[in-house]
Amino acid sequence: MRRIIGIASVILLITILFAWWWISREPKPVALTPTLTGQVEYCLTCHSDLQEISPSHPVKTFGCVICHGGERLALNADLAHSTMRGRANPSDLSVVEASCGGSNCHSGSEADQRNHIQRVTTSIQSTYAGAIANIRYSFGAQSDLKARLGIVAVTDKNNISLQAFDPSTETNPMIQKFGANCLTCHIDATPRTGEAFDRFTGCAACHTPLTPTPLPTLGEGQGVRAQIHKLTTAIPYTQCNTCHNRGNYDLRTMTFVERTDQPTDRLHNYYQPIAQFTICEYTLDCADCHTRTEAMGDGQIYSKKTDIQYIQCQTCHGTPTQLPLTKTLTDPNDIAFRLAGLKPVVNLQLGDTILVTDKDEPLWNTRVLPDGTYQLIGKATDQTFTFKPVMGSHCTQNGQDQSSAYCHECHSVQR
Amino acid sequence: MSNPTRRDFLKLTTTALLTASGLLGLGGLLRFLDYQTEPPRKTEFDLGPASNFPMDTRTLLPDVPAVLIHNAAEFSALSLVCTHLGCTVEQNADGFACPCHGSRYNAEGSVQRGPALKPLRSLRIETKTDNTLVLHTD
Repeated sequence: MRRIIGIASVILLITILFAWWWISREPKPVALTPTLTGQVEYCLTCHSDLQEISPSHPVKTFGCVICHGGERLALNADLAHSTMRGRANPSDLSVVEASCGGSNCHSGSEADQRNHIQRVTTSIQSTYAGAIANIRYSFGAQSDLKARLGIVAVTDKNNISLQAFDPSTETNPMIQKFGANCLTCHIDATPRTGEAFDRFTGCAACHTPLTPTPLPTLGEGQGVRAQIHKLTTAIPYTQCNTCHNRGNYDLRTMTFVERTDQPTDRLHNYYQPIAQFTICEYTLDCADCHTRTEAMGDGQIYSKKTDIQYIQCQTCHGTPTQLPLTKTLTDPNDIAFRLAGLKPVVNLQLGDTILVTDKDEPLWNTRVLPDGTYQLIGKATDQTFTFKPVMGSHCTQNGQDQSSAYCHECHSVQR
Repeated sequence: MSNPTRRDFLKLTTTALLTASGLLGLGGLLRFLDYQTEPPRKTEFDLGPASNFPMDTRTLLPDVPAVLIHNAAEFSALSLVCTHLGCTVEQNADGFACPCHGSRYNAEGSVQRGPALKPLRSLRIETKTDNTLVLHTD
């Protein structure tokens, strides 16, 4: 009996000493109590080297957990990360409502234009409904081009719904092949393999730009150049290129054919070799002209991209008989100020006159100058561009024809 | 002095081991019971003598964060926590601006531009008998 007690006491002591040693290995916690949550979290114990994600989301105010989830008081990495949302990307559309939503954040009312999540999830970049409808129509699975299926089932603000596209229920082998090979471009799809396609999913697909040089990857399915802790509205064209300019779908084989050229200059990298375009289309970034409504949708389901794409040459240049639409900022609560504040490349002031779209959206990075010319500041480049209206020039075009080829007939860049 | 027997030695060793285990275990228990996450947020700030804040001055108190205003009438203070989502607003020539989402407040803390809807919170200033100031954020 004494021997057993002796052995048990040795084991007990070793166990307790091991427990002390194990606990002493844990790092001394670095506490943060964000003003928004008022709850202490220890994430900075290991992640103090991360840069602020954006001026709109300072860590001192937001902390980490409100967006990323996770166990806020855990000091063990596995435990701390065990309940994170979307791994390193809480903006993945499968978890975005929990991460970025809320009436004070990105699931606010349509009236104050804070319904970003509702708009994005019904946008054509998310539903891919136009491409799906087009392929199903082309191969006889539906009788018209109206969108009925999306990547996931979704209902828009008018109670129009899309059912989820399930390639396995399609009888036509080409549609099945489309489902297998051609669904990598919607913003919640895992991107194709390769540096040119690297991006996150969800909001971060656009708002978290690539790093210029590769960083260590965080895990499978995440691109090697996308690992940067940053959210921005200054989206360079290279980010759009990860989906929009990396090749074409071959409808005969229903496969994606990657671009074989690897241009390093902006002129050749921006547009595909077959495309016609003007100087402003490659010197500006896509986001300098295309609005957030075009990119993120307006909360309605559309059947094709052109139904929600309305920026044209005349938006900034007008026509031979009409100047572009403008607006003088008189209301301090104009949305233009809020948008300009997100990426302050311009110092908008009350009384400034800016260009607007025909939906009255402010092109907040533009300004009408006293001499009647216009100025645009590149959101991602900070470059200043000045330009004139068509009216008063020698242009003899039909102002009603805004098709790409029509303006390009005279103004396309020769390569 | 007689040599200890093997039995005495084992008994002594066992007792020593159990005592050490008990002390270590007790230490661990005390450490567990004594554990505090973080102290509660400070709600009182001793600002020192009122004479440090001359008439017609506005003094930033970054630790609070707040601005202490001394005008003809009295001492008052405004919280610099934006009423939209809680970022710290910055003082400028026109009043205050939130660097996070662009809310603007005038010098009295009233909203001039959203998304904030409520004015900056007024904080209570207590003047002690020794003429020192204490700011209360609760």
